[in-house]
Amino acid sequence: MDLFVSPILLYSACTLGALGVALALPRRGISPQVIGFIIAGAALGGLFLLLSVSSPGGSLPNPNFYIFSAVALGAALRVISHPRPVYAALYFVLTILSSCGLYVLLSAEFMAFALVIVYAGAILITYLFVIMLATEPPTGEQTEALADYDRYSREPAFAAALGFVLVAVLSTMFVRGVGPLAPDRTGPDPDAALLPLMPQKIESALRAAKVIEADEAVARDASGRPLIDLAAGTITVVYGQGVRQIHRDKWPDSLKVMNVEALGFSLLAEHPGSIEIAGVVLLMAMLGAVVLARKKVELDEQAKLAAAHRHLTDQPQPGAAGGGA
Amino acid sequence: MNSVPDLLGLAGALAQGNFPGPMHQATLLHYLVTSGLLFCIGLIGFVTRRNLIIMFLCTELMFQAAGIALIAFGRFHLNHTGEAFVIFVLTIAAAEAALALALVVLLFRRKETLDATTWAELKG
Repeated sequence: MDLFVSPILLYSACTLGALGVALALPRRGISPQVIGFIIAGAALGGLFLLLSVSSPGGSLPNPNFYIFSAVALGAALRVISHPRPVYAALYFVLTILSSCGLYVLLSAEFMAFALVIVYAGAILITYLFVIMLATEPPTGEQTEALADYDRYSREPAFAAALGFVLVAVLSTMFVRGVGPLAPDRTGPDPDAALLPLMPQKIESALRAAKVIEADEAVARDASGRPLIDLAAGTITVVYGQGVRQIHRDKWPDSLKVMNVEALGFSLLAEHPGSIEIAGVVLLMAMLGAVVLARKKVELDEQAKLAAAHRHLTDQPQPGAAGGGA
Repeated sequence: MNSVPDLLGLAGALAQGNFPGPMHQATLLHYLVTSGLLFCIGLIGFVTRRNLIIMFLCTELMFQAAGIALIAFGRFHLNHTGEAFVIFVLTIAAAEAALALALVVLLFRRKETLDATTWAELKG
């Protein structure tokens, strides 16, 4: 295997990345965030160049991978460095969308759809609602002010150094211990064994491709399995009283097992109990969230004072309904 | 390191108005490095940021990194176990988001701030 990444270059890319992330995090005093982004981007570019020249076979790897991966990582950096939570959540959506691109490259289409629906749809909306519910109302004239805890981060240099030591260790293990991705799915389809389990799909695909006529049907054996042998290229068909056998070297593309179908069989046949447990977990989480959010809380004395103070300072505009608190 | 001629060939193909042909797939290493970087960015964010909501967003980033690694491994072994596992990761992430955000609302109502350091007394 000719995967070879020079350790010195790898570790210097990690160091550069740590420096960039540490600079990009919001901090007290002068905060050179833009320089941090540029350094982190340069480190990522160097790392990708390193990976691309060392990929096996000598041909250029898929450029889509680099685009999606760079967008995902850049948006992730913006999630942790943007001082405003709403923008952080929106950049998180960008990370999700580009990791969906990575999922599609890995031929996991169903998970890509599910990720967009569940994350970008459901979870992010919850986050946005909570950000809007749990934001301190601006007091008086400073309407655009950021809270202190959003403006300053805690020990950015130390955390970045620690995080990138982890990256260095992980990537050392990766480079030393993993092989190339399995070649494109050109050989026999590993999911083809699932096809006889779907007689309805076989019949409708064959009818749509005009391989069998409308009054014909695929023959079934005693246990209800369709008599189909794709390896030999034969399908047995019954019509009226007669039986005939169709022989083809190439079957229509719609007869292939799709990602969703294969994933469904894998999920229901191999992990039936896990689905039940996941359902119970979701139900419990929903109950817990309702119980937690319904509970009336006693405010701290300090918080009460702060709320009263805010209420008083909002008083000069009698037209504004409700006040700030 | 014989990729320089390929770069030239790619540039030539692009100059003639052709899109590059099907290229070599990225290896498992590429996806694992991306996943590791994403995980560490999430980790750094979780440690450094002080806003409770952004801290939870960073845990979601780490979930994402785990999902990419799982799916890449599933593709590597040409089976669907990785995808099935990511379904459960999604479920847990949804449940966790609902509960954690309810907790955040509760904590915010008690102290009127999202600053994680105001709860420092919890560390005992």
